[in-house]
Amino acid sequence: MKPAPFRYHRPRSLADAIALLSQYSDSKLIAGGQSLGPMMNMRLVQPAELIDLNAVAGLDFITEKDDFLEIGALARHHQVANSPVIKKHCPLLAEAAATIGHYAIRSRGTLGGSLAHADPAAQLPLVAATLGAQIVVHGKRGERRIAAKDFFVSMMSTALAPDEIVVSVRFPKAAAGDRHAYLQFSRRTGDFAIVAVACTLQNRKLKIGVGGAEGKPLVLEFLNEKPETIARKAREAVDPAENPRVPALYRKELVEVLVKRAVAKCLNSN
Amino acid sequence: MRRPKLRHIGAALPRKEDLRFLTGHGRYVEDIEIPGALHACFVRSPYPHAKIKSIKTDESRKLEGVVAVYTGKDLAQWTTPLRMAPPIEGLHPVEMTTLPIDKVRFHGDPVACVIATSRYLAEDAAERVEVDYEPLPAVANLEQALLENAVKVDASLPSNLVSIQRFKTGDPEARKREAFKVIESAFHQGRMTHLPIETRGLAAVWDEGRQHLTVHIGNQVPHPYRSQVAARMRLSESQVTIASPDVGGGFGQKIALYREELTVCAASRQLKRPVRWREDRMENLMAASHAREDSVRTRAAVTKEGRLLGLELEILEDFGAYCFYPANYLARVVAMILTGPYKLRDYAFEVKVALTNKCGNGPMRAPMAITSWVIEGTMDAIARELGLDPLEVRRLNMVETRELPYTMPTGEVIADITPRETLEAAVKAIDYAGFRKRQAAARKEGRHLGLGLCSVVESTTYGSKFYKAAGIPGSGHEAAWLRIEPSGAVNASVGLGATGQGYETAFAQVVADGLGVEPSQVRMQMGNTDVAPYGMGSRGARGGTAGGTAIFLAAREANEKVLAIAAQMLGFDSAEGLHLVDGRVEREILGERVKTDLTLAQVARTAYLDPTALPKGMAPGLDFSKTYDPPPMTYSNAAHACEVELDAETGALKILRYVVAEDCGTVLNPFVVEGQQHGAIAMGLSGALLEHMRYDEHGNNITGSLADYLVATSTDLPGFEVIPMHTPSRGNPVGIKGMAEGGVMGAIGVIACAVNDALSPFGVVADRQPLSPDYLRSLLRQT
Amino acid sequence: MLEFELTVNGERYPVRAEPRKLLCDVLREDCRLTGTHVGCEHGVCGACTVLVDGKPSRACLIYAVQMQGHELTTIEAVAKEGKLSPLQQALHEVHGLQCGFCTAGIVMTFEAYLKENPRPSEAEVREVLSGNLCRCTGYHNIVKAIIRVANEGRDAKA
Repeated sequence: MKPAPFRYHRPRSLADAIALLSQYSDSKLIAGGQSLGPMMNMRLVQPAELIDLNAVAGLDFITEKDDFLEIGALARHHQVANSPVIKKHCPLLAEAAATIGHYAIRSRGTLGGSLAHADPAAQLPLVAATLGAQIVVHGKRGERRIAAKDFFVSMMSTALAPDEIVVSVRFPKAAAGDRHAYLQFSRRTGDFAIVAVACTLQNRKLKIGVGGAEGKPLVLEFLNEKPETIARKAREAVDPAENPRVPALYRKELVEVLVKRAVAKCLNSN
Repeated sequence: MRRPKLRHIGAALPRKEDLRFLTGHGRYVEDIEIPGALHACFVRSPYPHAKIKSIKTDESRKLEGVVAVYTGKDLAQWTTPLRMAPPIEGLHPVEMTTLPIDKVRFHGDPVACVIATSRYLAEDAAERVEVDYEPLPAVANLEQALLENAVKVDASLPSNLVSIQRFKTGDPEARKREAFKVIESAFHQGRMTHLPIETRGLAAVWDEGRQHLTVHIGNQVPHPYRSQVAARMRLSESQVTIASPDVGGGFGQKIALYREELTVCAASRQLKRPVRWREDRMENLMAASHAREDSVRTRAAVTKEGRLLGLELEILEDFGAYCFYPANYLARVVAMILTGPYKLRDYAFEVKVALTNKCGNGPMRAPMAITSWVIEGTMDAIARELGLDPLEVRRLNMVETRELPYTMPTGEVIADITPRETLEAAVKAIDYAGFRKRQAAARKEGRHLGLGLCSVVESTTYGSKFYKAAGIPGSGHEAAWLRIEPSGAVNASVGLGATGQGYETAFAQVVADGLGVEPSQVRMQMGNTDVAPYGMGSRGARGGTAGGTAIFLAAREANEKVLAIAAQMLGFDSAEGLHLVDGRVEREILGERVKTDLTLAQVARTAYLDPTALPKGMAPGLDFSKTYDPPPMTYSNAAHACEVELDAETGALKILRYVVAEDCGTVLNPFVVEGQQHGAIAMGLSGALLEHMRYDEHGNNITGSLADYLVATSTDLPGFEVIPMHTPSRGNPVGIKGMAEGGVMGAIGVIACAVNDALSPFGVVADRQPLSPDYLRSLLRQT
Repeated sequence: MLEFELTVNGERYPVRAEPRKLLCDVLREDCRLTGTHVGCEHGVCGACTVLVDGKPSRACLIYAVQMQGHELTTIEAVAKEGKLSPLQQALHEVHGLQCGFCTAGIVMTFEAYLKENPRPSEAEVREVLSGNLCRCTGYHNIVKAIIRVANEGRDAKA
């Protein structure tokens, strides 16, 4: 399975990358290549131009600000999972990132790539949506900041314009007393989740993000409700498509079970 | 024959093969550099069933680097079709052209071959080959295949039922009438594929000057493969060399002469240039060889105490679209050995095999894998329906040691096996009694534990008499040679095909004990048909038994001649009291062993370079050839036990403990044997829990990548506790029973039994594999 | 066609290849380092795992041209002057390989991982190993070998 031919570009600045994107309509950006690589090897995707972002300097930062952490789009999953700053201030993100694929995938896969790819079962889109992250993008017309709930449009589809590149993501910092949990159900370790649940508790407000059940993450909020009720409501809220490999009814059941377990874990965590 | 003391056989010697694999210096087919080689790429059908109206190759041939594009019509000129017509009752003959000409029969069927200067360019060109298909209705499953007016997969057959065989002994009907109860059970195994980590591939090198074809290919049966290549290309066997280097796993997928391989060989001859092909993983999943997908039913007539009076068996197998093997070949063995260690006189079976528009089946490590699940699952069903302890039902029905040899109802004779001993050892190791208590306590907490037991009687090695009796052409013998070089170096060979089983080490140990040298002095030369003797290759679990014994016999003959020469050189009348130990001649004087100064190297030098000093009438040289035909069937046995926990809310399973007690007779190398057991169990569990080659209801293969076809990783499998309980076989000179497939049989049986034990409070029975979480939830949801 | 240079195992290799040529193919054909194996070309099996700047990466998901300016390490560099690494030696001693096709990918993964986490638990070992498929061994002895190396590290430091 060899990819179709393409022309290769290796811009050294964001501006050059944007210029290339604008110049070539039949082009694709490559960052980690862990999702795009297989698709190109299988010839499911055959861009005429490939724009490699790995030489654009300064996109792999992790910076702590007053209210948020800002993480560069080229930060690798391994970096995110092991960063002391992220573990301290956004532990849900670090925990979820540590479950992505396998060790070698996490060495290359990037935050920006994962969000732009927008797989419905992926960890980072789910966490971004649950935490209400802001995705910072740059394009021909300059910078835009898109709230996660507006960024993910539908399955594998985002609000990015053809000339725009994800540059960084701002995650709200957890406050003292905040709790979280992340659970996923997959057939094997490292597989895409069939259903994933991210849960945060902040001042008695419980936020549940459900991934894998629909085309994009579904975020629900609850105040003072019992775990069983929350789980049942989550199950009722999702409408999974029928699928030969995973029946919709089974997926709904999993949502209920995982939400119940995630809420219990969240309530009991430190 | 004087049997030597075994010092090297049975030693846990780390393998000679390891160094090159660990340091990246293995030599698999794709690593062999062949200057000027062209690359092949196949155009494959996107339809499960379609007429080929036309194939246009003009556009593809215009591309840079493209040398040729061949289709079925071209191959029909250069090769003969495959005719599969063994004289077996109930089996229809079938024929297969090298590449399809009239129609394609499955999603992925190869229809054209592009030859270019690189694989990248060949794939570009393949996309531009224009095939005009007329889609036909497809037979997507067995149900559709056996309908009254079903579309025919093979137009030459009266229906899609390519094989039907029936057997009856005793009076199972009468036993059903007399029985306290007749218990029906079903077992459905999903479609799988072998998935060696190295895909198929080869490099064919045609030498126009010598009119000779050399094929570099990872293959389990180099000589039979050579015979096939020669016949299909209308060459003499002396015009073909098969050279099998290091192979990244076979598991039964690397036996048949596949159409892609024959096409590449023919292309090389046609172009007078080397041509190579490496299958990619998508091709391997879609179009190499599939396996299993069988549905089995039993009807067991039993007494109130659970004793088996009679048994009826039905097997229905989905064989796919093409027969690379006789269609009955795989399912029949299941029926023949089904009763395993259990006593039975009244038995009947019906085995039906049908064609569908899927990739054709082939033998996958333990083609008879479903056997133990079926019989052990039947035992569990008996226990369940009669309210008895499943272990007691097994004990009641199992053959006693004093009743061996025992003749199964099909005429198969089991001897030198220890099923009772291995069962009791497994039961003890898994703490059966203690488990029931823990299970009860866990249930109170809402946790669902299950324990499974599965005894295995594994048919490992088939002798020629078996094939004759079954009407299957072919031999079960194996061939070996041993040569001591003038310097005392020892070379040996056997007609097997290594794919990771450690032959280079284990057989060096056999030679070491047979001849009297150290394993480090011995080098095995295998895989090249110009070098190795004509043997039947590596399949089933015959390597150790058939190959090991042939090598041992050659080594003993060598030992005899070496000592006869030694006696002459030492001035003795006879070799009585002489031994060769680690390459040095020793003398026995009054019960004590005394070393002489005479070494093997010196004996060898004399044999080759000073033949007038040899005993009168003795020919020069130290070159020995031997064949060995094993008994019609050799069996080994084991008992598997495992403990699982079922998450009733999600259907997820966790294996908490896995124990196997095994008896494989004399073990050549305990490392190798244990490793084979681990690997076989792993493959069985992977298939039972995860693997599923799926087609949709229209016959499209929807399992296109390793993201869809799931195989077990290290987090899906437990550690394995192996209890060795080996007792030698009296059926061959070394006492080997063979093994390597029984682990698959035991694993798929034991996990199903464990799951059903966990499900018992719910009153549902899992009867299909893979035991996926959504399948288990679908059962639990009903309760 | 592009012309570029790769640094593999400390040596410089001039390469002339299309941008689409995968790193695994360039290593094997252009650098003639055939120890890295290709098992799936979609990043799942792990047989092609090499180190990029010391980090394990799937060579089938990287275009060789992307690797200019990076340090690549393959299986051929692990044993030093014929002496096996502790991990290679342990795999040999406990029979942690059979056909050998997946072995290089596993060695590269763990040569890197054990530097990061020298004393992993069995659960951690199995978790990291889950990114490499083996069809022969059932993983049991591979895990055993890695734990042995971890324990030897512990004993050596004790």
